[in-house]
Amino acid sequence: MASRKEAPSGKSLDSPVRQIQIEGLVRPHHQALQGSEVVQGVLLGLVVEDRLEITNCFPFPQHTEDDADFDEVQYQMEMMRSLRHVNIDHLHVGWYQSTFYGSFVSRALLDSQFSYQHAIEESVVLIYDPIKTAQGSLCLKAYRLTPKLMEICREKDFSADGLKKASVGYENMFEEVPIVIKNSHLINVLLWELEDKSTAADKHELLNLSSSTHLEKSLQMLMDRVDEMSQDIVKYNNYCRSLSKQQQQKHQYIQRRQQENAQRQSRGEPPLPEEDLSKMFKPPQPPPRMDTLLIASQLSTYCQTIKEFTSQNLGKLFMAEALQGTSSYS
Amino acid sequence: HILIFYTVSDKQNRIKLINHNYLDLLLSDDEEDTKRVVRSAKDKRFEELTNLIKTIRNAMKIRDMAKCLEEFEQLCRAFLKSKTIMDKEGVPQFYIRLLADLEDYLNQLWEDKEGKKKMNKNNAKALSTLRQKIRKYNKDFETEIASYKEVQSCSPDAFTSSSGSDDDDDEGITAKSLLKKKPQEEEKKAPEASKFLKGAADEESESEDDEESEDWGSDSVDSGSESEDNEGAAASLAVVFLKKYDSRRKKHKKKERLEEEADEEAEAEEGGWEKVKGGAPMVKEKPKMFAKGTEINSAVVVKKLTEILQARGKKGTDRAAQIELLHALAGISNENNLGEGILIKIKFNIIASLYDYNPNLAAFMKPDMWKKCLECIDELMDILFANSNIFIGENIAEDSENLAISDQPFRVRGCILTLVERMDEEFTKIMQNTDPHSQEYVDNLKDEGRVCGIIDRLLQYLETKGSTEEVCRVYLRRIMHTYYKFDYKAHRRSLGLQGETKSEQDQEESEGEDSAVIMDRLCKFIYAKDRTDRIRTCAILCHIYHHALHSRWFQARDLMLMSHLQDNIQHADPPVQILYNRTMVQLGICAFRQGMIKDAHNALLDIQSSGRAKELLGQGLLMRNMQERNAEQEKIEKRRQVPFHMHINLELLECVYLVSAMLLEIPYMAAHEFDARRRMISKQFHHQLRVGERQPLLGPPESMREHVVAASKAMKMGDWRTCHSFIINEKMNSKVWDLFPETQCVREMLVRKIQEESLRTYLFTYSSVYDSISMETLSEMFELDLPTVHSIISKMIINEELMASLDQPTQTVVMHRTEPTSLQNMALQLAEKLGGLVENNERVFDLKQGVYGGYFNRDQRGGYQQKQGYHRGGYEHLSVTSKLLFTLFCGGSSQNALSLSSSKQLPSVDMKSVFLVWLVKLNVCVFLCLWLL
Repeated sequence: MASRKEAPSGKSLDSPVRQIQIEGLVRPHHQALQGSEVVQGVLLGLVVEDRLEITNCFPFPQHTEDDADFDEVQYQMEMMRSLRHVNIDHLHVGWYQSTFYGSFVSRALLDSQFSYQHAIEESVVLIYDPIKTAQGSLCLKAYRLTPKLMEICREKDFSADGLKKASVGYENMFEEVPIVIKNSHLINVLLWELEDKSTAADKHELLNLSSSTHLEKSLQMLMDRVDEMSQDIVKYNNYCRSLSKQQQQKHQYIQRRQQENAQRQSRGEPPLPEEDLSKMFKPPQPPPRMDTLLIASQLSTYCQTIKEFTSQNLGKLFMAEALQGTSSYS
Repeated sequence: HILIFYTVSDKQNRIKLINHNYLDLLLSDDEEDTKRVVRSAKDKRFEELTNLIKTIRNAMKIRDMAKCLEEFEQLCRAFLKSKTIMDKEGVPQFYIRLLADLEDYLNQLWEDKEGKKKMNKNNAKALSTLRQKIRKYNKDFETEIASYKEVQSCSPDAFTSSSGSDDDDDEGITAKSLLKKKPQEEEKKAPEASKFLKGAADEESESEDDEESEDWGSDSVDSGSESEDNEGAAASLAVVFLKKYDSRRKKHKKKERLEEEADEEAEAEEGGWEKVKGGAPMVKEKPKMFAKGTEINSAVVVKKLTEILQARGKKGTDRAAQIELLHALAGISNENNLGEGILIKIKFNIIASLYDYNPNLAAFMKPDMWKKCLECIDELMDILFANSNIFIGENIAEDSENLAISDQPFRVRGCILTLVERMDEEFTKIMQNTDPHSQEYVDNLKDEGRVCGIIDRLLQYLETKGSTEEVCRVYLRRIMHTYYKFDYKAHRRSLGLQGETKSEQDQEESEGEDSAVIMDRLCKFIYAKDRTDRIRTCAILCHIYHHALHSRWFQARDLMLMSHLQDNIQHADPPVQILYNRTMVQLGICAFRQGMIKDAHNALLDIQSSGRAKELLGQGLLMRNMQERNAEQEKIEKRRQVPFHMHINLELLECVYLVSAMLLEIPYMAAHEFDARRRMISKQFHHQLRVGERQPLLGPPESMREHVVAASKAMKMGDWRTCHSFIINEKMNSKVWDLFPETQCVREMLVRKIQEESLRTYLFTYSSVYDSISMETLSEMFELDLPTVHSIISKMIINEELMASLDQPTQTVVMHRTEPTSLQNMALQLAEKLGGLVENNERVFDLKQGVYGGYFNRDQRGGYQQKQGYHRGGYEHLSVTSKLLFTLFCGGSSQNALSLSSSKQLPSVDMKSVFLVWLVKLNVCVFLCLWLL
């Protein structure tokens, strides 16, 4: 595979890792990659200046429910130890996860990435889309949590106010780190050779016009997320309404109390004792907003993929039209 | 001296009796006493007074002034109530006595400064008020009290002896103080008890002693009341003893002599006594109704009758014995030829007592009682038919009755209609309380013929004699017994089948007119003549039910619609509502039989969707916890239940509902597969489908529901043969379809419906696959003839359900292929969902900012949604324009929202999500527009 540079995102990242260099060897080698099942694994490598070099990886074993007592930590340690024996970088620098049509933003991802980043500051998560890659466009992305989100996760304050204070929106939850794929010269030579040998027929897949299944799937998932979002908003709405109602009641109560006290004062009686208002009016439990945020983030990812996909397809369509047009004219 | 004589004889008597272990006897006698007392109005009043006096005396004993005052006020009121009697009879002695005693007592208390101080506030207050009151009150009775006191003071001894056994308490003390204080009383008690109180008194504890003293007190007062007519207390005493004698003599025949004496004495002295005596032995000696030699005429019998009836409803009355007595009386009057008037009156009362036999409203008659009741009513009807010169009616006053044989026609108070109605209710009650799966139920049900017979006879009788209202009522009864029965004879006749054998034909001829004709006649009379709304409502409902039962769908429907019952049935009482529910259900089933699937579904929807069909039809109670229904309500609800033989089969009902829902819903679902806002026609049906889907393992269907679900699945694929085999098979036949009277017709109708709807479903589901279909192939596939297929397809095209056109020469359906692809459908759905999302988000803003909602132009969106509504019609053009419009709209508002947020500094999460929504919308819409162009 040719070494290729992913376009780095314009803004400078204020994190210890500015770039990720991946060895061409690093390929999530799972057999079940084509399925919708999510696979995960560990990334190994080392940090050089502000560059994170990922030189190797190994998967988490797919364990079924039968062997529930399987010790994952033990396995990882074993694995790393074995790798060190053969003189491979054994520093844990992150993890990877496969994705199904771009759905990866979830609570689980957030939590595990947080713990990784908490323990090893420069760790990243690689998201790899096997389906899209199979269609001809490599889809490999590296993400890190932004410092703001780290802050929030550390404090575990997912209330609306907390998120507002930290000014975390769905767009600045994760930061994408540019990826550079670098192969050893030997591999490059091999690839050149292979390219020469291979015929162009292999690449017709890129021009495939029928892509509705992919779109349908994406749309279906987008729709599901929209439904969830909708529900969340309704929940939040209810919360807001009950909160304001209670506030009103509280206000009324205080006013009445004040009036009564004023009357009593004019009659020379002692004022009524102050009661604990917070006990009388317990504020309703605010719904956690983190899920909404995650859904929003996921939605935006979906939108991004759909947009990309459609723009590509559109190009292809125009091209096809032009071709047909010329053929009909001739 | 008489007085002395009685006292002495009394003592002798008692002493003798003790030897006879007479405690038991005495007690039993006492019981009988209470049983046989026939009370006049006077007695009743006096009893009330004496009871009050008793409590006052008790209160005096414990110095409870508050209670005293309260009771005294009640006493005054009671006295006022019985003023009329007092005017006639004079103020009773015991009353005066109490007044005098009370005053003395109060004065004494008043004097007693020490005691007064000890009294609590309440009591002291009561004391002063009571004292003032009684002083004022006693002024009215000055003379009486004065004379009473005189008697007391001048001859205390005489008085004591006179009050003798009854006012024992007085004996020991001086006459003027009736103030009974506990210690004194106990002292007194002991000797008395030993003297002649019930022998057991010795063994009894003090507290019981106390009670007994009260007993005696009451006895004394009783005697006082009875002695009212006499001047002296002596006579009263005599009466008390006499009474005891009376009762005792039955047991102790040896004392006949004494008894005769006593009888004589009593008769010599008082006239009012006779009545009691007449009643007294009656219970014991049934045959001896009247004294020997009494000339039995109607007056005497009537008197007797009233006597017996007075015991009615009293606590200790033996109801069975009373019925026996009345029967005996009827026999006597018959023997003596007193005429039908009396006989009818007695019969009326016998039936009434039969009804009264069960004091509890919920309890039902015992079989023998019920048989007796039926017989009695039958006899009564016989008499009434035999003698046309008898007038009966509720409005004939007791005084204006004419029972004696004379030239005038008899006039008897009483209402036969009410009796029959009550009988009918009793019948219902019996049926409600019998286990419907027992032989007993069948046996009981056999009586229905008799009940109907009686109602029929009554109907004939009242048609000639009764008023319109009565006729209406009896007609309704008749209708109620007719409307739910399927008239097989008429059905067979209408089919043109003659009875197979000669005898059957004869039977048919003798059977009379069709029930339909009867119903029509009776109901029309009620519609025209009835003044009460309820009877008419019931009659209409029954009429509809009857029509529906006999598959006269249009008549039934028209009647239902014209009566406007649907509008105001919720104001009716529960039984009528139950009848209404039954009628609606029957109407729905009728519509189903006639193949009006939609009507059937609509009629059954309300009942079935509630999930409480059983309860709504009055066919059983649902298990519910006690919070929703207490025991009382449950009893009431139980009483409303419809007897089992009138039940509508619930499984049939549900099956009819589900099948009609299936026939409606499956094509609808197929037609609106991608419609995001698809509404369900029948929730319950969907529920069943979901239940079916949830099954982990799908075996062959067992229950009716499973059959329908399986059939629905087959139909969804357009596979009518499988659907048919699931709906109509042996299991379903035995469970459901065989319950219809015209099974074969219904089955044929069903098959046809299934074929048609399967065809529709098939076209909806698979039209996108075809470019064109030959109608001949379709008609072969669904075994429908070509014109039918043609008409179904034409209808679908006209209704814009199917985007196709018919090609006449080739007999094919050419699809236009304008149905949106699944991707397009999905995009539309997404757009709609996003609309919802935006709306929800706006609501959050509404809350935060008050009038934010006005910001988005709702009209515009409404317009968009409307356009969405027709997208099926001219899909290509409209959708593109609407999408463009939508995009513009979204773009515009997102810009606005951006500017707004920047101006108000609202970087909240919700704002973010709003932005996101806009983003999504923009993305999707851009994509959509490009895709569709």
